Amino acid sequence: MSVIAPKFRLGYFLKGIFDNAFWILTIVTLAGIPLIQIVLFYMDLPVIDGELLTAFLAFTWLFNPTMQIPLIKSLLYSDLFRIAAFPGFGFAALIAAATIFVERKMLAKLQLRVGPFYCGKIEGLLQLAGDGLKLISKEIIIPAKADKPLFWAAPVLFVGTAAAFVALIPVAPGGWVVADLDVGLLAVFAVIGFFPIITILSAWSANSKFPFIGGIRALHQMVSFEIPLILSLLGVVILTGTLNLSEIVESQSNFPWIIFMPIGAIVFFTAMLAELERIPFDLPEAESEIVAGWLTEFSGMMYGLVQLGSYLKLYAFAALFVIIFLGGWTGPMFWPPLDTELIMEGTPIPNFKGDPVLTVHAPGLPLFDKDPNEWVLQEQGELQYTSGQLLINGVIWFVLKTVAVIFFILLPRGVFPRIRIDMLLHIGWYKLIGLAFVNIFIALGLVYAGVLGPGGIM
Amino acid sequence: MADALFLAISVLTIGSAIAALEMRSLVYGSIALMGTLGGVAGFYVMLDSPFVAMFQLAVYVGSIAVLILFTVMLVKRELIFKKIEDPKRKFAGIGLMLIVILALGAIIMDSGIKSISTDSDPVDFREIGGDFLTYYWPALVLMALILAGSVMGALVLARREDTVENEQRTD
Repeated sequence: MSVIAPKFRLGYFLKGIFDNAFWILTIVTLAGIPLIQIVLFYMDLPVIDGELLTAFLAFTWLFNPTMQIPLIKSLLYSDLFRIAAFPGFGFAALIAAATIFVERKMLAKLQLRVGPFYCGKIEGLLQLAGDGLKLISKEIIIPAKADKPLFWAAPVLFVGTAAAFVALIPVAPGGWVVADLDVGLLAVFAVIGFFPIITILSAWSANSKFPFIGGIRALHQMVSFEIPLILSLLGVVILTGTLNLSEIVESQSNFPWIIFMPIGAIVFFTAMLAELERIPFDLPEAESEIVAGWLTEFSGMMYGLVQLGSYLKLYAFAALFVIIFLGGWTGPMFWPPLDTELIMEGTPIPNFKGDPVLTVHAPGLPLFDKDPNEWVLQEQGELQYTSGQLLINGVIWFVLKTVAVIFFILLPRGVFPRIRIDMLLHIGWYKLIGLAFVNIFIALGLVYAGVLGPGGIM
Repeated sequence: MADALFLAISVLTIGSAIAALEMRSLVYGSIALMGTLGGVAGFYVMLDSPFVAMFQLAVYVGSIAVLILFTVMLVKRELIFKKIEDPKRKFAGIGLMLIVILALGAIIMDSGIKSISTDSDPVDFREIGGDFLTYYWPALVLMALILAGSVMGALVLARREDTVENEQRTD
């Protein structure tokens, strides 16, 4: 007879709970609290409403409705939030997860299948969580003759490099970017250059035939498509006269650069597909030829990390396309122009006698405005918006455009077959580089003809 | 803070340079070489020239180190290299290095530079580009011609007439 717990006794159960509670309390007292105090000693704590925020004050304010919003706002504008949550890792990982879901369902619909269906009842919504749990709980198997330090380091380095790429992407106006570099585009090129190294090192360290063939293919492909990738963006740099990604977005407030350089956009998109190893350029992971290419020997969460890194990379490339060619966060305002008074002072609601007892602010705004008194003048018309309105509007436009580009990256997977390696190298070295130079000459022609110049229409 | 950073980058650069020379495994040696080149990029960042630092990363770590790694992986090292263990050479090399370092240090001490002011603005890369396109344009044209010539020469050398393969190709 098989039962789940054959020797279940309430006494053993309670003893287990009390044992666990005892050890947790002991460890927290001896190690956890000193650790928290050491961390707090070195942290820069914010000043809210003239009071230095301590841990005790934070706990107190969490349950005080009037202090919750300043507390959350100070968290919202901290560096940690930027790196971990909004323009950084969390936001990108969320979009990456959505991308995986959409990819599965959309490809299935294109090929008249149903795709993931059972987990989560509605269109297999929870399949992704299930796969994540499966990957975490699986055993990590390392080949016996693998080069262990490199084999362990490769997935972590891959995710780290992808996260560094994500950190350079500006998402919304007002400095919503993790690292706002003056040479942002060059930093992007430098980060992209690390991917082939990690790929070839992981392929070599597995000490197996299929990964090595896949790694060599990946190296050929990435190195040869990096050149048209860089050259296709130089036209925009010539026209804007800056390498800062935020300034490139701001230069497109009137029109996106894809209008003037569609050739550059096409070259960049093709090179992007090759850098991302997507079909039709997925020779490094060609599952019908070389099991899974350079990912063959990865198992468990190591495979999961590589997949996470490659989808973060996909998001970052799509976002880069949006920033350079489609105008980033620029777009018409969704918000109706509200009265200055309404936002700054709120609407007083009187009681039955006519005395104002309650003030209602515009919804959502007190949370997203860094400083309610800080006003930003929009150029279109004489309308004024707060930084919170601009933030929400910018994020909505940015996400819409990025999702559209991601859709076009996913689409070829259901449509095109894989191409041969000689055709791939031919496309990269002959056609794309030539087209990229044509694009640069178009940009130079526009500058010298006096039509366009650094900063927009002259 | 800056001193600690400088020390850390120096240790990284010099340590990985020594490792690149001394490691038995060629692949690890080239990884150590990447560490050296990345450390040099760190020096450029500390010297307020992120433009040069990013090019150092993109060109040296991203391209040249990859080529070295690629070559190393395709070579069977037992067939080509013989181990030469010669302590005399090693000591001679260390001695030469010490002499060079002492000479350079003496020159720097002799030049009268005692301190470096860190308040001055970094050179804007737009100014460098402007100078190249206006005053120094002959140098730019010369560099472009030399590069174009070397690329064309490489293409001519690498060109190979595979008539059979060309016939088999359908595209």
